Amino acid sequence: MLGFIARRFLNLIPVFIGATMLVFLLIQAAPGNFLDERKLDARTTATTIERLERQFGLDKSLPEQYALWLGNFVTGNLGISFDSNIAVWDLIAPKIGNSAILVFGELILLYLIAVPIGIYGAVRQYSLGDKVMSLVSYFFIGFPSFFLALLIIFGLVWFKLRTGSFLLPVGGMTSENHASMSFIGQVLDILWHLIAPMLALLIGDIAGLSRTFRAQMLEFLGQDFVRTARAKGLPERVVIYKHTLRNALTPFIAGIGALLPAILSGAGFIEVVFNWPGLTPVFLEAINSQDLYVLLSTTAVSLVLLVIGNLISDFLLAVVDPRIRYF
Amino acid sequence: MNNSTVNSISTPDAREGMAAYSKSRLQVAWEQFRKHQLALFGALILFAMYVGAIFSPFISPYGLTEYSTSNITRFHPPTQVRFFDEKGAFGFPFVYATKSELDMTTFAQTYVEQPNIKCPIRFFVSRPEQPYNLFFVIPTSIRLFAVDQPCNIFLMGADLYGRDVFTRLWYGAAVSLTIGIFAVTLSTVIGLIMGGLAGYYGGWIDNLVMRFIEIIGAIPGLFLLLTLTSVLPQDINPLLVFYSIIFLLGLIGWGGLARTVRSQISALRESDMVQAATALGASEARVIAVHMLPITFSLLIVGLSLGIPGAILAESGLSFLGRGIREPYSSWGSMIAQAQEGGFSSIAYRPWMLIPGFFIVIAVLCWQFLGDGLRDALDPRKRQ
Repeated sequence: MLGFIARRFLNLIPVFIGATMLVFLLIQAAPGNFLDERKLDARTTATTIERLERQFGLDKSLPEQYALWLGNFVTGNLGISFDSNIAVWDLIAPKIGNSAILVFGELILLYLIAVPIGIYGAVRQYSLGDKVMSLVSYFFIGFPSFFLALLIIFGLVWFKLRTGSFLLPVGGMTSENHASMSFIGQVLDILWHLIAPMLALLIGDIAGLSRTFRAQMLEFLGQDFVRTARAKGLPERVVIYKHTLRNALTPFIAGIGALLPAILSGAGFIEVVFNWPGLTPVFLEAINSQDLYVLLSTTAVSLVLLVIGNLISDFLLAVVDPRIRYF
Repeated sequence: MNNSTVNSISTPDAREGMAAYSKSRLQVAWEQFRKHQLALFGALILFAMYVGAIFSPFISPYGLTEYSTSNITRFHPPTQVRFFDEKGAFGFPFVYATKSELDMTTFAQTYVEQPNIKCPIRFFVSRPEQPYNLFFVIPTSIRLFAVDQPCNIFLMGADLYGRDVFTRLWYGAAVSLTIGIFAVTLSTVIGLIMGGLAGYYGGWIDNLVMRFIEIIGAIPGLFLLLTLTSVLPQDINPLLVFYSIIFLLGLIGWGGLARTVRSQISALRESDMVQAATALGASEARVIAVHMLPITFSLLIVGLSLGIPGAILAESGLSFLGRGIREPYSSWGSMIAQAQEGGFSSIAYRPWMLIPGFFIVIAVLCWQFLGDGLRDALDPRKRQ
């Protein structure tokens, strides 16, 4: 097992280097750099620009800059944000936390809801309930997530105009008086703000996952070992939940590891529309101001998560599927 | 018993009967496709949308960037088309002129109808002040319908600058609907070449291509797209942005297809048929082009039609974030972005700004239906 992990890890190093190098080159290829705006400012003197260039290492050649960043990253220093002049890690760590709250909760609910829907659809194929669910999920797969979010906000604002009070908060993560709340109150406040963005995420994702899961269940339900199980006279409950479900779930359980980097970028548009203080808005801002190290290190962190996620996937696959052995 | 069956099949009549029933691959696929009602429905709606996009300047009453500087129409609600005049008599459709007023309690701009100014809707009107080129070549100024000043006809309201949403929606359709096709075509070509090279030659080329796909796949999609858009200069010609977005979407979308093509080609390379062709002296290019690529054809069609909705969604997302199509051009995504202009609550005062979103949904759904239908028609295992 250890040998396998080590081999996987070594294989992923070139991907990590290649991907960060690609992002680094793209940002450098973008016209201008962060200091351009400062240079236009008459109050900034040439010496200040020079000092900043030296401080950020912008006066060095490209390979040197990349090597410098890589060396720092490996030792845990993610560089500094030009824009806010604080360490990148201090800037993104709380945002990663906020994104994780949203995506983590969503993923748990997603599996809890979509898997039963998929099972129902496969077991009662072409029943009225299955047809309705299929149609609804077909419909929602076509929705861009930001549009769904806007529709939800529209519904909430419309409700407020009618009744004078908000059914749910329409944006942000905390209320104005958040700081003065007790700890329990603060947690509840965040949960309260979580409902609307999570709903927007869930609707689209449930539509996708329940359909894939239904197809997966159907594939196994048609196989010989299921017929054998039925022929042996096993109760239908056992046939479905023990023989079929366990097989159908295997790729999804193994896929959980691959969802790890999604915690960083998964909520994307929803965070922007709902003004959720997650990582995507930070990334968008950094793109606009060409904040080199924020962009580079954020991508790198998500790559690290991808590597860890892949290892978790391999491990889980070995656990749930007795046919797979790595050692 | 056995004998008689053999006999009956080998009689000349039976042979003729069988010949009449054997169909070409395309015929079988078409018959399968026709059974898929959702796919037919999707194809029909898409056809209507693309025709609308081609004729966008004709069916829209205004020019793409047209707005009045004297008669402010910022976020003007949809104009009501009336068939009955004040006496209740049915007549030719007309609209009332509107006057902008400031609501003194909410300080919101409202538009009040002025029953004393009535403008009939005119059809096939020439509006020489807004000429256009139909199909990019025929210079004309005929619009399907329009009203005279001081009236306005905003079937779907007006946007932030007072421009007609209906007009911009159809101009945007030309952008949103074609970007998907072009981008996916580009990524298909790249995927085909890369997958073909990797599968046919194997070795270090295969390794290089596969690592590159892994690298692209490893970076979170949204982050990669946003980073790519930052390469475009701020002051670039907005029309060039359109092509750049196609290019960017095409550049990142080919990994999955290349993988499938690669595995199919590398399996084919060992097949008897290819060995025979090589033994007969066929060149490498001929083997790839004549013997290998046609087999991946159905894969391509399905990949194209199922990839397009994804590309439409990606473009609308980029434009929504303000990093895609730029002013003065419109795309469905960039139009929706104006719905939230000025805070969360403002959305309730201008719901018509959300209309382009439904067009995205319909276009994506119809492409999805069409793709499913094609997949079922071309995949022998899915046939009924």
